[in-house]
Amino acid sequence: MNPNSRSRCVLVCAAFIGLFSIFSFRLIYLQAIKHDEYAGLAAEKHVYKQIIYAERGTILDANSEVLAHNIPVETVVADATHLSNPEAIVGPVSNELGIPSRQLAEKLNSGRRYIVIKREVPEHTANALREKLRAGNLRGIYFEHDATRIYPNGSMLCHVIGFTDFDHRGIQGVEASMEEYLHGQDGYRFIEHNRAGQEIVPYRGQERAPRDGYQIHLTVDLGLQNIVENEIDAAMQQYSPQKATIILMRPRTGEILAMANRPHFDLNLRSEAKPEQMKNRAIIDMMEPGSTFKIVAAAAALNERKLRPDSEVFCENGLWKFGGAALHDHRSFSYLSVRDILIKSSNIGAAKLALSVGEQKFYEYIRRFGFGERTGIELPGEINGLIRPPQSWSKISITRIPMGHEIGVTPLQMTMAMATIANGGKLVVPRIVKSITTSEGTTISSLSPVVLRQVISPETAREIGDALRGVVSDAGTAAAAAVPGFTIAGKTGTAQKVDPRGGYEEGKYVVSFAGYLPADHPEFVGLVVLDDAHTSKPELNYGGLVAGPIFARLAEKAARYLDLEPHEEIRKAIPVERVEKKVPAKRIHKTASAERIALTNASRH
Amino acid sequence: MKRSRRRNHNAVNAASLARWIVMTAFLAVAGLTYVYLTLQLYHLGERRKAVENELTSLRTQNDVASAQIAALTSRSALQRRLKEGYLKMIPISEANIVRLTIPPRSPDEDTIQPVANPSAAR
Repeated sequence: MNPNSRSRCVLVCAAFIGLFSIFSFRLIYLQAIKHDEYAGLAAEKHVYKQIIYAERGTILDANSEVLAHNIPVETVVADATHLSNPEAIVGPVSNELGIPSRQLAEKLNSGRRYIVIKREVPEHTANALREKLRAGNLRGIYFEHDATRIYPNGSMLCHVIGFTDFDHRGIQGVEASMEEYLHGQDGYRFIEHNRAGQEIVPYRGQERAPRDGYQIHLTVDLGLQNIVENEIDAAMQQYSPQKATIILMRPRTGEILAMANRPHFDLNLRSEAKPEQMKNRAIIDMMEPGSTFKIVAAAAALNERKLRPDSEVFCENGLWKFGGAALHDHRSFSYLSVRDILIKSSNIGAAKLALSVGEQKFYEYIRRFGFGERTGIELPGEINGLIRPPQSWSKISITRIPMGHEIGVTPLQMTMAMATIANGGKLVVPRIVKSITTSEGTTISSLSPVVLRQVISPETAREIGDALRGVVSDAGTAAAAAVPGFTIAGKTGTAQKVDPRGGYEEGKYVVSFAGYLPADHPEFVGLVVLDDAHTSKPELNYGGLVAGPIFARLAEKAARYLDLEPHEEIRKAIPVERVEKKVPAKRIHKTASAERIALTNASRH
Repeated sequence: MKRSRRRNHNAVNAASLARWIVMTAFLAVAGLTYVYLTLQLYHLGERRKAVENELTSLRTQNDVASAQIAALTSRSALQRRLKEGYLKMIPISEANIVRLTIPPRSPDEDTIQPVANPSAAR
């Protein structure tokens, strides 16, 4: 081999070595250095993260009756790139889904790739459409599993349960406040598809199972709720008020047994509801409570030992000028005991009770009863109410606040105040959620009663309770609130409606009754509030004459439902046929009520 | 056999041949088994997917049935049926309610109690 050919050979070999070295380096660069990057890009092409959706938890009542649960539905979607024959698809899809053909054709030709044709399609409709598409060999339409929230009881308890949005997030009521527990945790799975879009099961990657949402058990008893809903409907029919609220709660534990508001809406037709219908007025509406608030003034005076229940207070014969303004009573009273101030509902007497403790102390008691702060119930949107500090009171505020004017409270706060009296002076945090369990029934959390504070001494609570029994007697303002066989304690309230432009609206009243039963061992506390009730005569628009009988009817039914044993002595005094005899709603005049009371509370008052 | 042929004869190493045959057969069987098992894996994957789909379908049917039961047994539905006359409810009058007095719990309730049949105690 001559040197020339040898050098050529070396050159060729070197060229090959160089070329293959470049290939090798490139290979190493791609396989080792850029491995992760290209592996990621490859995975993006054929590996998908499939979300496994968790099922939203159900909401149940105290007896495990279903209040809210899920029903499987499908979302019908189209992939525009897979639509082989859009014209042929329009016919069967529009027929099955009830969408006008033109509208559907416009959607399919919108130029987007992913097109949502219809949401919340029932399973049977989706199956029928699936069969039609398969028979016609039509491609491009897909079905995505979804679920929608169903409320079997429609409008019952609507403000408490609340509802969810399109993304299944709670936006009102317990659905919103318990979102964290109801929502659950979605799972996922990494999967690979073949060219036909089918999953290659052996290549399944990392997987995490979903955790379904927890079940929420409410304290509400649907049996009692049904009684309350029927009574509030009857009241709406009879008095046509603008708004109405009824609350029933168990004073010892703070459990809300029933809560209803009007106007209301159907949870299954929530898109048609107006904002006014969606308000839970028990916690977000402020009202001047009227005379029901006198229990606070009386409790303050008795608890501070400024007066005794039988101490007499001069009530100025019905007209008292204080701070340059006149304060009236609905009747002329001269001397009334503290007990009688509550029984007769004397404004002047209540004002003098508040004056006896002084502005600062009276304000302290208002706050101790829980007014001016949220109760802490597990419902969203609760307001504080409006209680001004004594520094911003006018000269006459000390005489107006005891009769429930110049303040704003929520119906729930008023119920809590009455529950404090029923509960021996203990203020308990109201609760709407009883327990949280898994779908298998394992208890995650069980909420026990929380005593917030001892507002007044048990003795003072008993003295106020004794006086409140007298309210539901022929001598009191709520004779019509009596329930045969049971002793009731309660207080009426009639407050002139506040005009949003200032002052008060003429002839418009918020009437209320707050009471508990049985008076000795209260099983439930109830509040009935009617805003701007329309009575046959304006002089009949009083708490005792409008809200009192409503309370009596629902308390009677609730006592029967809870199987409370009627008081033996009282029961003996009433002939059976009198107990069963239903008093017509029209008979709310004093004589009939007094007759009824004489047989119930007479032995005690 | 002539000497010259015998000299050119290459004896077959039977042991080596057998070894190669066994190795080849083993590799062939292993290959076929691998292919078979891979196919089985795909087949079982499809079966698994089908079972999962069936399970999802059954769950869906169950959920739909539960929803229907809840709707039909809800208070509102029962009230409606009551109004339509499909259900009848008569309130129990006070006179017809018999209340049983539950005896107070005895502190020695958990102790051994005498049996009703004395012979059984012997």
